[in-house]
Amino acid sequence: MSEYSVVGKRIPRTDSVPRVTGEAKYSADLSLPGMLYAKVLRSPYAHAKILNIDTSKAERLPGVRAIITGKDAIPYKWGVFAYTRDMQLLPSDKVRYFGEEVAAVAAIDEDIAREALDLIQVDFEPLPWVLDAEEALLEGAPQIHQDKPGNISVRIFVDEGEVDRALEESYLVQEDRFSSPEENYCQLEPYAVLANFDSTGLDIWCPNAGPHMKARPLSNALGIPTSEVRVRKITIGGHGGGRSEVSPADFMAALLSRKARRPVKLVYTREENFNCVRQVHAATTHSRVGVDREGRITAVDMKVIMDGGAYASTGPIAASVAYIMIEEAYKFANFRYEAIRAYTNKPPRGMYPHHPRTAYGGLELQLDVLAEKLGMDPLELRIKNAVYEGYVTPTKTVITSCAEVETMIKAAEKAGWKEKRGALPPGRGIGMGVGSVISGFPMGIRGGSGAFVRFNEDGDATVISGVVDNGQGNDSMIAQIAAEELGLSVDKIKVVTADTSMTPADQGAYSQASTVMSGGAVKAAAADAKNQLLQVAAEMLEANPKDLVARDGRIYAKGSPDRFLDIAKVARTALSRDHAILGRGDRWPSADAKREWVKNPRGQVASAFSFGTAVAEVEVDRETGRVKLLNMVAAHDCGYPINPLAVEQQIQRSALEAGPEGTLLEKHAWTANGQNLNANFLDYWFPLSTDVPNIDPIIVTSNDPFGPFGAKEGGLSISVAMVGAVANAVQNAIGVTPKQLPITPEVVLRLLEEKEKQSEAKS
Amino acid sequence: MNKIPVSLNVNGREENLEIPPHKTLLEVIRDDLNLTGTKCGCEDGTCGTCTVLLDGAAVRSCLLLAAEVQGHEIVTIEGLADGERLHPVQQAIVNHGGVQCGFCTPGMILSAKALLDKQPSPTESVVRQAISGNLCRCTGYTKIVESIMALSGQPVSS
Ligand code: FES
Ligand code: FES
Repeated sequence: MSEYSVVGKRIPRTDSVPRVTGEAKYSADLSLPGMLYAKVLRSPYAHAKILNIDTSKAERLPGVRAIITGKDAIPYKWGVFAYTRDMQLLPSDKVRYFGEEVAAVAAIDEDIAREALDLIQVDFEPLPWVLDAEEALLEGAPQIHQDKPGNISVRIFVDEGEVDRALEESYLVQEDRFSSPEENYCQLEPYAVLANFDSTGLDIWCPNAGPHMKARPLSNALGIPTSEVRVRKITIGGHGGGRSEVSPADFMAALLSRKARRPVKLVYTREENFNCVRQVHAATTHSRVGVDREGRITAVDMKVIMDGGAYASTGPIAASVAYIMIEEAYKFANFRYEAIRAYTNKPPRGMYPHHPRTAYGGLELQLDVLAEKLGMDPLELRIKNAVYEGYVTPTKTVITSCAEVETMIKAAEKAGWKEKRGALPPGRGIGMGVGSVISGFPMGIRGGSGAFVRFNEDGDATVISGVVDNGQGNDSMIAQIAAEELGLSVDKIKVVTADTSMTPADQGAYSQASTVMSGGAVKAAAADAKNQLLQVAAEMLEANPKDLVARDGRIYAKGSPDRFLDIAKVARTALSRDHAILGRGDRWPSADAKREWVKNPRGQVASAFSFGTAVAEVEVDRETGRVKLLNMVAAHDCGYPINPLAVEQQIQRSALEAGPEGTLLEKHAWTANGQNLNANFLDYWFPLSTDVPNIDPIIVTSNDPFGPFGAKEGGLSISVAMVGAVANAVQNAIGVTPKQLPITPEVVLRLLEEKEKQSEAKS
Repeated sequence: MNKIPVSLNVNGREENLEIPPHKTLLEVIRDDLNLTGTKCGCEDGTCGTCTVLLDGAAVRSCLLLAAEVQGHEIVTIEGLADGERLHPVQQAIVNHGGVQCGFCTPGMILSAKALLDKQPSPTESVVRQAISGNLCRCTGYTKIVESIMALSGQPVSS
C-alpha cells in the first residue's frame, strides 16, 4: 500500500465539470437586479494634463445614471509598496499613457453608456512624451512623475563577491546585449467587474490573483473599512501574473455603483484587455559571463533596463525576479546585477512568471556559446554548474530540496539529446534551457495563509481557505490535500475559497506560493480537525489516539484495519457529545523577513525552490525565416505531485508561455504617439494549435521539507527554461546568436543575412 | 430603439424574441437567453470562445446577426450534456485534463464535436486544424488534442 491514498493520484480536477458544461460563472456572466452597464472614456494622448472635464451633456442623456471622473475620487495614490505609491486609480491631474482612464459612465444599457462617452468634453493640454526606456533615462526627457526625477521607477543593485577580478581571471568571457519588446498576458477572459455598493459596503466580483490583495487598496481608495469590501468568489479565466493588483476597473465600477446606488457591470473589450490592464516589460540586458577552463561559471555581470510604463505596479519585484532566478539556477560566487526600471508613457507593466526574457534567456544563449568555445556539451556544462541542496546563493539564500541535475538528465534523455545534438540535418537545431523559480517570498503581514476545516453531520468536510483559483487548479489541489489528511475521498470534501467576507486571509497566487502556503495551511487545519476526531474515536475504540489512523473514510488502529469506525459515525458521535469538530491552521513563509527588494536584497528569499530543464527541437526555413517547433520536452522538479495531471498541465502551460509565445511570436509595436499597434488577436501573434507540437511533460520529485506532502510549485520553472531551450535550438540551427526576442521570421532573416555577409568578408 | 421579432431554435427549444436588428447571435444567446456558457473573448471573430453549432457546423456567434439564423438549429454548450451525463467530448476533456481556466473550453468542445460528428476518426493534424480557430492560453493544446484523439482512436504523436 502506498504511503498516501489521495495525493499523488492522477485525478480529473474537481473543478472541471462545471467548466465543460458552461455552468461555471465568470465575472461577465453575472447579473443582478437593476444592474447598470459601464463604459470608460480613455486618453487619446500618451501624456497630457487634464484641464477640465465637462460631463453635463452626457448626464442629460436619457438612461445615464452616473458619471465619474478623477474629481469623484478621494485624493489617494495607490502602490504595492509604501515607496511606490504613484497611481490614482482614476487620474485627476494628468494622463500618462494612451488609453488611460479619464471618466466612466454607468447607464441602463451598453449602447447608451457608449453614446454618453461621446458627449463628455475633456480639455487636455498635451505634454511631451517618451516611449523608450533608455530615452526616458536621458537628461531632459519628459518627466512623467513629479517626484521621480530621471524617470527612475526602481533601481535594484546587487554586487556580491569580486566580479571584476573574477572576470579578468576567467578563461573565457562572453559579452552580449539582448533586447525584447513587451508581451501581453492575453488571458482568454477579458477583464470584467460586477460591483454592488450599498449601505453595508461593497460586494465585488472580478478576476483576481488574491481577493485579500484587492480588498485592502479598494477600502483605502473608497475610504471604507476593509471588512466592508467583500471580494467574492468567481471563476477566473486566466491570470499569468497580469491580475496581481487592484485594477482601475474595480475602482471605477465600485465608484459608479456607489454614486448610482445600483449594481454596475464593467466588461472590458479585447482591446482594453490588451492595453488597459498590465503588460509584460520590454527590456534590454547587457550581460558578461565568465567561465574557467573546465566550464565552471566564475562570474556574471548583468545590467538590465526595463520599460515599466506609466506606473510602478509591482516594479521592485519585477526588477528583481531575473537575478533571483539566475542565482538559484546556477552556482557561481561573483554576481553583479543592476536593474533600472524606467517610467515611460506606455501602459504600466506588471508581474510575470519570468522576466525579462532577455536576462535569463540571454544567459542561456551565452552558456551555449561558451560551451561551444570550450568544446563541451552544453548539457555537461549545465550539470557542472547546477546547484544542490544546501547550496548558498550569492545573496545568501539556502537552497532546500533540489533535483535540478535530474531534470537536466531526464529532459535530455527523453528528447534524444545525445543522439541529436550535432547530428541533425541542416536547418534543424536542438537546444536546452534551465530555470529555477521560488515558492513564496516574504510579504510581511500579508505573506501567510489561513484555513479552517469543519466536519458536517454526514461525515463530509468543508474546507475554508482564502486561496484563489485562476485556472491552475488550486481549489482541486486543496481538496486533495484535505482529503488525504482527513482520510476521506476527494468527493467528500467541499471547498469554500477566495471570498474576503468569509475566508481567512491568504497571500494570493503570487510567487508560486499557493501550494506551499495555502496548501500547507489547509493541511494544518485538516490535521487539527483530524486530531479532534481521533480523540473521539479513541474513546469509542478504547484506544490511544496516537495509535489511530484515518484512511479511506475509516478510523482504525495501525495494523488492525478490520476493527474500524466510519468517519461519518465518529463525526456524529462528536456532535452528540457536544463537540463540533472545527480545525484551524495557518502557514507562513520561512523566509528572512528583513529581506527587502530594494533596500536589503540579502537573506533567505523563499521557502522552497523548484527547478526545470527544457529541450526544444526546431526547423528553420531559410527562405521565409520561419521557425517551426518540432519537439518540446520539459522536466520539472515539483517536490511531490499532489495531482500529476495538474502538474503536467502547469508544465505544458509554462512551455507554451515561454516557447512559442515568449521566444518566437509575441510582441507589441507602437505608433510614434504611443498607441498600441496590435491590440487584437489578428495582429498579435498568439500561438495556435497548429503552431505547437505536443508538449512532453516529465515530473521529477525531490520531497520538499517545507511544502505539504513534499510538494512545491507545480511547473513554472519551465516558463523560464523553455525560453533558453527554444532560443538555443534556433542558435544551434542557424549558427548565429539571436540577440533579439522574440525570434520572429524577420529576426531570423536578418541574422542569416549578417552571417552570410560575414562569411563573404572572410573568404 | 425599434425591435424586430425573431424566432430561434436553440438547444431544441423554440425561442420567440423581440430584439434590436443589430444584435449578434452571441449577444442574444448570452443576454436574452441567459446561456452564458458561450463566452465573449474578442467580438471580432478571432478567439473562438463564442463558438456554437449552426446546423451541426462550428461557427462564431459574434460574427452572425441573430436575425440571420432564423430557421436554423443552434446548439450551445448547455445543449450537449444529457441531464447529468456529459457528452463524450465533455467527458474526454475532463478525464484527460483538457480544461484549465475553462474560458476557451465551451468553444473548443463544440469545434471538436462538429469535427467528430462529420469525421469520427480524424488524425492528429486534422484535429489541430479543426481547433486552430479556438485560442487557448492555458493548456499548450496538448491535453485538448489528447482528449479528442482518445475519442478518435487514432494515435497521438509524442
Ligand atoms: S468572441 Fe467571437 S471569436 Fe472571439
Ligand atoms: S483552458 Fe484557459 S484558455 Fe483554454
